[in-house]
Amino acid sequence: MWRIRLFEERVAQLKRTLQVHGLIHLSIGGEGVAAAVCRQLRDDDSVYSGHRAHGHAIAKGAPLDRVMAELMGRESGLCHGLGGSMHLVDSEHGFMGATGVVGGNLPLALGTALTQHLEGTDQVTVVFFGDGAVQAGHFNESINLAALWKLPVIFVCENNGMAEFTSRDEHSTIERVSDVVAPYGFERTTVEGSNVPAVYEAFAAFLEAARAGQGPMLLECVTYRRRGHYEGDAEKYRDPLAEQAWAERDPLAQLQRRSLNDGWIDESSATAIEQDAAAEIEEAVRFGRDSPFPDPDSLATLVYAAT
Amino acid sequence: MAREIPYIAAVQEAIRVEMERDPTVVFYGQDVAPSDEDPLVQAFGRERVRVSPISETAEIGMAVGLALAGYRPVVELLMAEFMLVAMNQVVNEAPRLRYMSGGQVKVPAVFKAGYGFTAGWAGQHTGSIYGMFMGFPGLKIALPATPADAKGLMAAAIRDDNPVCYLINYLLVLEHGDVPEGEYVVPFGEAAIRRGGSDVTIVATGWTVGQALAAAETLKSEGIDAEVIDPRTLNPLDTGTILSSVEKTGRLVIADQGTRHGGASAVIASEVAEHGFSSLKAPIAQVTALDVTVPYSEPMEAYVLPNAEKIAGTVRQVLGEAPVAA
Amino acid sequence: MEQLDNDRLVWMFTQMLRIREFEERVKRTFEEHPGVIRGHTHLADGAEASIVGSLAALQPGDQLMATYRCHGYPIALGTDTKSIMAEIYGRKDGLCGGYGGSMHLADPGRGFMGTSGIVGQGIPQATGLAFAAQLRGQSQVVLSFFGDGASKQGAFHESLNLASLWKLPVVYVMENNNYNVATRSEQEDANAAAGQPLSTKAAAYSMPGVTIDGGDPVAVYESVGAAADRARAGEGPTLVESKVYRLSAHGNIIAPPGVPLHYPEHEAITTFGNREEYEAALRGDPVPRFRARLIEQGALDPARADEITQEVRDEMDAAVKFALDDPFPEPEAAARNDYVYA
Repeated sequence: MWRIRLFEERVAQLKRTLQVHGLIHLSIGGEGVAAAVCRQLRDDDSVYSGHRAHGHAIAKGAPLDRVMAELMGRESGLCHGLGGSMHLVDSEHGFMGATGVVGGNLPLALGTALTQHLEGTDQVTVVFFGDGAVQAGHFNESINLAALWKLPVIFVCENNGMAEFTSRDEHSTIERVSDVVAPYGFERTTVEGSNVPAVYEAFAAFLEAARAGQGPMLLECVTYRRRGHYEGDAEKYRDPLAEQAWAERDPLAQLQRRSLNDGWIDESSATAIEQDAAAEIEEAVRFGRDSPFPDPDSLATLVYAAT
Repeated sequence: MAREIPYIAAVQEAIRVEMERDPTVVFYGQDVAPSDEDPLVQAFGRERVRVSPISETAEIGMAVGLALAGYRPVVELLMAEFMLVAMNQVVNEAPRLRYMSGGQVKVPAVFKAGYGFTAGWAGQHTGSIYGMFMGFPGLKIALPATPADAKGLMAAAIRDDNPVCYLINYLLVLEHGDVPEGEYVVPFGEAAIRRGGSDVTIVATGWTVGQALAAAETLKSEGIDAEVIDPRTLNPLDTGTILSSVEKTGRLVIADQGTRHGGASAVIASEVAEHGFSSLKAPIAQVTALDVTVPYSEPMEAYVLPNAEKIAGTVRQVLGEAPVAA
Repeated sequence: MEQLDNDRLVWMFTQMLRIREFEERVKRTFEEHPGVIRGHTHLADGAEASIVGSLAALQPGDQLMATYRCHGYPIALGTDTKSIMAEIYGRKDGLCGGYGGSMHLADPGRGFMGTSGIVGQGIPQATGLAFAAQLRGQSQVVLSFFGDGASKQGAFHESLNLASLWKLPVVYVMENNNYNVATRSEQEDANAAAGQPLSTKAAAYSMPGVTIDGGDPVAVYESVGAAADRARAGEGPTLVESKVYRLSAHGNIIAPPGVPLHYPEHEAITTFGNREEYEAALRGDPVPRFRARLIEQGALDPARADEITQEVRDEMDAAVKFALDDPFPEPEAAARNDYVYA
């Protein structure tokens, strides 16, 4: 989580100084879900995400330096600079893609889950999406099919109560996403997204069932989106959360507090983790800056796969 | 009375003026006026100005229904690519219902979206996809290139009794320009001659109009006098003005931010090739985006897109002033 | 909603019979006048009670949108059956001048605002009509007709969410005939596969959902009527799952030009080998069932029933004759720019 948190904060700085450009959506506030879920997955499990994907990609194993290089548009980036923030892919680690279209990856996740049924493996598919995606038609189409074919896919909804610049009550009469899927007989649960152990345990239970070929499931994590929808969003539509309230909803701060209290780690280890993460990120920034931009002539070769 | 305001303000002004003028105009979409303090909500209330969820099929389909019922909806779709999520409603329903009913109904709806977001918005948000819409009769397409046209074409779109894809170019939103106050309508199907000239005709759309004008300045110092035409609407398309210009200059270069294939440029080129062949002294040339998904990385993104330099270079080629690239 | 007196009940029976007799003649045209009907037609035989019961709840000013299985609605609304048949035959005096055909009927003057040929795509349009009704504030209601297949579509989900969010005055009437072309609902719907009614889906939208016997026009009238009353009172939309059985195949066969078109047997038989299911549906045919019920309760006299039947048959025979004799439109009429653009 420290790696994601510090990475995202650094990206925010780099965006302001135009070293990272374009449309950037940060995961600050969502690190707990990314870490608790992806930590339990293997490289051969598939994860799909939405436009707010840095945290998921990193937690799934995408190397920080190659993610940073991608955001800087360099040839050494995960996608050779072609995709950018919203189109990260790291197939080696099973991170099958982010997308700029809200809910756009839901149907893709079904397809991947189906192959797992067809091939009889114990691989699972996880798809992350926000509460805003739930009103989109392709959500309905996906949950019907997933339920009908009992696909081993775990839907992880980060319900931060905001879709772009409007709050959930302007999008739906139903507050909890798990209530929206209730008519389809999903295994489902709602947890507080800032409570990392709770997310971890809930996901672990679903994971076990999915590995046995069962599904689908929905894990709804109630989170808080710390920053605007995108970097540069003035957030005039929101009341800022007071620092005290944020400290209570910050998954990183919560887990750190609890870990220290319960004696899982001591102060010096906690500091070391933070410092190691910071160093790794600086190394990633250096790597990105030192990497060349892609050669434009390489563009045309990537439009079609060779047959 | 005209005064200088930015392009994006001109669009909003048109919507406000038309909503004042016509109580059947309704405006909704994602993130449209979430706050009750928003001027449109203050002026027209929450019945006529609404926020809708991310549900393009419903948002656009509802516009069709509203239009059938005698209202004039303006739907904010934010980005042209989001129309693709509801492609059926845009091309298979809205423009076809009138014809299939034998003229009994009409669908006066405006589908408003941004395009051409090249600023690192990457492959799925950046496209100039309107070329494909030209293949659906019944669907009009407006591409304002100036703040005045942004206002005038929006007013025309709202008053039009047909479905209109009204597309604003995101690279132009902060461009300032003179915009008349009050009611102001720019009729569809009337191209604007942005710069008169005699040596070559450059037809350019949206953001590429500015690029073409910059190219024309450069070319002027080389003794080349370029005429720049902005069609303003792709459907209806003012081929008359374009053909008259080509008759005068004998040469045509077309600039468009979309891809080469299936785009506006190809349609215009084919019209002139067929109807203006005898006027041409050189083959028609097109300056479009490359046929690739727009890449994220800045230098690659710039490489893919048309610009003033490429337009000027192409003009030199059709005038025989520069060797044609292999 | 008004109580149904004998006159109204007899009216309902008459409309059901008119739809049945019309649809029979459409079907017979394939045998008796091959080549006259081109393309794809979809018949409402078996759904008459649901259609008529629903439309009986309408008041002047109300509107509806339907699917490509649309003949029944204008018939019950009073559109001239000659013009409907002429449209299906592609003639110049067809309801839409020959421009639309069987799947694209429209009679906006009677509130029938049109159809979509694409499954589910009329639902958002009906939702838009309801948005307009809300703006007008004249207590109008909109009926959105679609089949069970449409409830898997994104358009269904998005529309019901929006309608419930904005409390739009619309009644969503799902005619569940258990088939989506040749696929049974259990094969494509998670609720059906779990043995649940499809009205279960309403819970995802904070909307009331009811399942009713679509073969009983009075039950349909009461249910749709109650939902319409709710909508008129500003209480928002309702999902009504009306269970019907279509007595014909999904439509006539689809074949390239040159191959004669015809109506095959129902998919229960041709795809699933389940003749018993089909025979049972025939035995429960809503039209003779309602006739018998009205006679039994004294609302309808058998001689009057026979009279009505003859009148209806004469009407539909005349419709066929009119349509056969009606000339085709002038070919140039296809290029009417005022039909492409308003």
